[in-house]
Amino acid sequence: MEGRFPNRVLPYVLLLPSVAVVLVFLVVPSIEALRLSLFEVSPFTGRETFVGLGNFRELLGSDVYRHSLSVTLVFATAVVASGMSLALGLAVLASQPLRGLGIYRVAILWPYALSPAVAGTIWALLFDPSTGPVTVLIRALTGASPNWMMSGGYALSVTVVAAAWKMLGFNVVFFLAGLQAVPAEFREAAQVDGAGAARVFWRITFPILSPVTFFLFVMNSLYAFFEVFGLIDVMTQGGPGGATDLLIYRLYQDAFVSARWGIGSAQSILLFVMVGVLTLLQFRFAGRRVFYG
Amino acid sequence: MSHRRGTYPGIVVAFTMLLAAVAPVSAQPPVKITLWHAMGGARYDAITKDIAAGFNKANPNYVLEPLFTGSYAETVTKAIAAIRAGNPPHIVQVFEVGTQTMLDSGAIIPVTEMVKPGEIDFDDYIAPILNYYKVGGKLYSMPFNSSTAIIYYNKEVFQKAGLDPGKPPATFKDVEEMGRKIVASGAARAAITFGWPSWMLEQSHALANRLYADHDNGRNGRATKVRFNESFGVDVLSRWKRWADEKLLAYGGREYAPNKAFLAGEVAMLMQSTSQVTTIEKAAKFSVGTGFLPRIEGQPAGKSVIGGASFWVLKGKGRTPQEIDAVVKFFKFVAEPQETAKWHEETGYFPATKTAVALLTKQGWFAGHPNHETAFKQIQEGPDTPATRGVLLGNFVQIRNITDTAIEKALSGKLSPKAALDEGAAEANKLLDEYNRINK
Amino acid sequence: MVVHALLALGTTVAVLPILYALQVSTLGFQEVFVFPPRLTPGGAFLDNLTRAWEKVGLGRLVINSLAIAFSVALGKLVLSVMAAFAFTYFGRFPGKGPIFVLILITHMLPLPVRIVPSYQLMQSFDWINSYQALTVPFFASATGTLLFRQFFLTMPPGLSEAARIDGAGPLRFLVRILLPLSANNLAALFMVEFLYMWNEYLWPLIITNSDDMRVVQVGIKMLVATDAQAEWNVIMAGVVVAMVPPLVVLLLLQRSFVRSISLGQEK
Repeated sequence: MEGRFPNRVLPYVLLLPSVAVVLVFLVVPSIEALRLSLFEVSPFTGRETFVGLGNFRELLGSDVYRHSLSVTLVFATAVVASGMSLALGLAVLASQPLRGLGIYRVAILWPYALSPAVAGTIWALLFDPSTGPVTVLIRALTGASPNWMMSGGYALSVTVVAAAWKMLGFNVVFFLAGLQAVPAEFREAAQVDGAGAARVFWRITFPILSPVTFFLFVMNSLYAFFEVFGLIDVMTQGGPGGATDLLIYRLYQDAFVSARWGIGSAQSILLFVMVGVLTLLQFRFAGRRVFYG
Repeated sequence: MSHRRGTYPGIVVAFTMLLAAVAPVSAQPPVKITLWHAMGGARYDAITKDIAAGFNKANPNYVLEPLFTGSYAETVTKAIAAIRAGNPPHIVQVFEVGTQTMLDSGAIIPVTEMVKPGEIDFDDYIAPILNYYKVGGKLYSMPFNSSTAIIYYNKEVFQKAGLDPGKPPATFKDVEEMGRKIVASGAARAAITFGWPSWMLEQSHALANRLYADHDNGRNGRATKVRFNESFGVDVLSRWKRWADEKLLAYGGREYAPNKAFLAGEVAMLMQSTSQVTTIEKAAKFSVGTGFLPRIEGQPAGKSVIGGASFWVLKGKGRTPQEIDAVVKFFKFVAEPQETAKWHEETGYFPATKTAVALLTKQGWFAGHPNHETAFKQIQEGPDTPATRGVLLGNFVQIRNITDTAIEKALSGKLSPKAALDEGAAEANKLLDEYNRINK
Repeated sequence: MVVHALLALGTTVAVLPILYALQVSTLGFQEVFVFPPRLTPGGAFLDNLTRAWEKVGLGRLVINSLAIAFSVALGKLVLSVMAAFAFTYFGRFPGKGPIFVLILITHMLPLPVRIVPSYQLMQSFDWINSYQALTVPFFASATGTLLFRQFFLTMPPGLSEAARIDGAGPLRFLVRILLPLSANNLAALFMVEFLYMWNEYLWPLIITNSDDMRVVQVGIKMLVATDAQAEWNVIMAGVVVAMVPPLVVLLLLQRSFVRSISLGQEK
């Protein structure tokens, strides 16, 4: 892009704090942890037995792991798709010049203030198979008694909704910020030309919104892969029968709870590679389509 | 005269030195010991305000500092991190499934090695509670909050269904017959539910005096194979599946989620830990009854297993004799009759000693709170064998997850009980292999 | 009108779970477990609030969390604006790509995996149980860096050209021109990062060893009884308290949001 400054040293100076923090506090401990993926480790004594790629072979050959991979892909796709589209809808509505707008915006963002564990707790209470208000409502309306602890599909749906709901505020805030960059004159001009609201949206608003949309696409994907184990841990513990057994949940169980550091680190590397490739693809394909103006 | 003037200063000096030599111990700063625990909610008050404060008051040279460190799993991980970094707490509370891991950690001081002969009267302790944490005759950790599983039932629902409100089901067959009556009469939506499915499977085995794993339940050498997929385990799971199919069983999730259904009167019976008895009674708007866990008919008589957690003492970089003494005094304090009786009354966990039980009986506690006595009576009856002492497994937490998953798969019909348990056993055995390799 | 209705519906659905939590926090212990579930507020809010407050010392916890969330949000803002600026206004320079990737991967290295080496690192700095350990490791922000990179890329090239012609150096351009234009995004990022740190549970749990360094999320966990029937009413009262400071921050920043609408259009 044009308009660059000629300084050769300044960019490094500007980047130094971020790089320093990331290297020291994140990369260094991670290298130590990831090194263990080639070993079987005794957590207390630290004794390590080299197993080469044994951990990786075990994971990739394991039915349970492969099942977890497919569940994760389904989950992530559903969360990103539903979360972002719903948020976009709400943001468009909330960006009209209306009275009481501030209240709406605060209300929508407020759930983001809940920790994943607390959010999961509330949803678990709401959907409790016997006493949850939602279950009771469904029973009253349809006579059916859905029990998400007995139905994998239902459990997966409920967790997807809970996860997407949690990110709603985050998405809406940034969509709103992005929508404000759409000059009113463009929209008005298009409307004067007789274009319907939908056309105005797709032809004008959406492209201008694309930098934010891309940002949210990447962030939501990372969220769906990495940040939901608190929610799963509280709601379903990966159940029933492995229906919500996400990769990040297995990783948490193995690396943290069971202190199986070797295989936990191996899972971390696999997850890292998967999401890294995904992010790369996102930058390659979606990133190209972004209209920066 | 001059020699007297010379002796006065000498006497003063000697006297001062004598005073210094016998200065009271409290002139030194109190010895601090730290305890990391996972007791939240009402139990948090019990640990900090009652137990810690009481101990500190009774022992002015010692200060016990309790610290809440999250869930049981988070507490163990934090302890591991601290051990590796070289500054672990003196005492850490570890759940019973972490026992094998702690035994192999090389980071602990077994209780038996810390206590001088006669310092603690181990015979006064309730035997099954100690036996869980004893291996090869040695006691490794100090039981603190021990529980077992019992069956809770809604007396009013029983009455409405035409059943005797004083008679809980004793066998699986009873559960089915009573359950059918309950559902048919409309007194409740479902007959029974339970939390901790894998623990319930372990209980079923122990109640029938059957081993859950080889090597005498892992008590005679490390376990290498689980045995829950043998015909007995398959039978138990098949019966649960039948209950689910007949809509008698309303599975509500692992841990304590099913309690809500019971408390709401939606389900008539609940198999759950006795550690809930105080709060369940408080939360229920109906009259709650309790009974022994139902057994499968025609099986040998066994006993239910202990659950809960215990206190482990961590070596750190070495503990001074005063620190050891402080820890031992703390263990003694917690087991004092009034203390352990109060802990039992507030929570429902077992009172630790026979003296405490006698005290409670004398005060008429059990007469006024029969539900609190049920679990206690249950662990008194039955033989003391490796099958009833409880199984010790490496990677036990993970194995419980695997078993939970297998049970859920069977209940929801995804796999047959045999297939589900076989799949679970295969995975569990792989984990045991890995554990044994690492801890050779 | 339709817009209002839709918005109201969408917002209500989004807020419903929170309203439920609020309602549960007003009930007495037994009322939580009745069936059919009670949906009307009870009168026990103050009781529950007092219990939750006193039991875990919520006051101190809120102060700790405020201090931590505030400083981290600020730190993240500063570092990510600097980094994004470096990535967008200096053309190509050796290491640009790898450094961008380096910052982006902070989200892909989950804490549970590196918890023990991280603890040991803090131990070697002697930072266990300190504010530094709770804040400094979080100062870099992939979210912020990516966000501002995206935003700066939408800036017309003429902007910096004009600045250079005027003799302004890059830093002056950044502070005098870019930052004011970024007000929306700055506010949004601050809110988001504040909330993120406010919710952080695992790291503070592992890295602090005393009651006075505890954060609000750990306090809420303390209200959840490990083996007893959870007192949902008290827990939700604690949750409500934990939601108030973020709400205040949201409300305060909302105003800067609305005010900068008119500014944003002057491009």
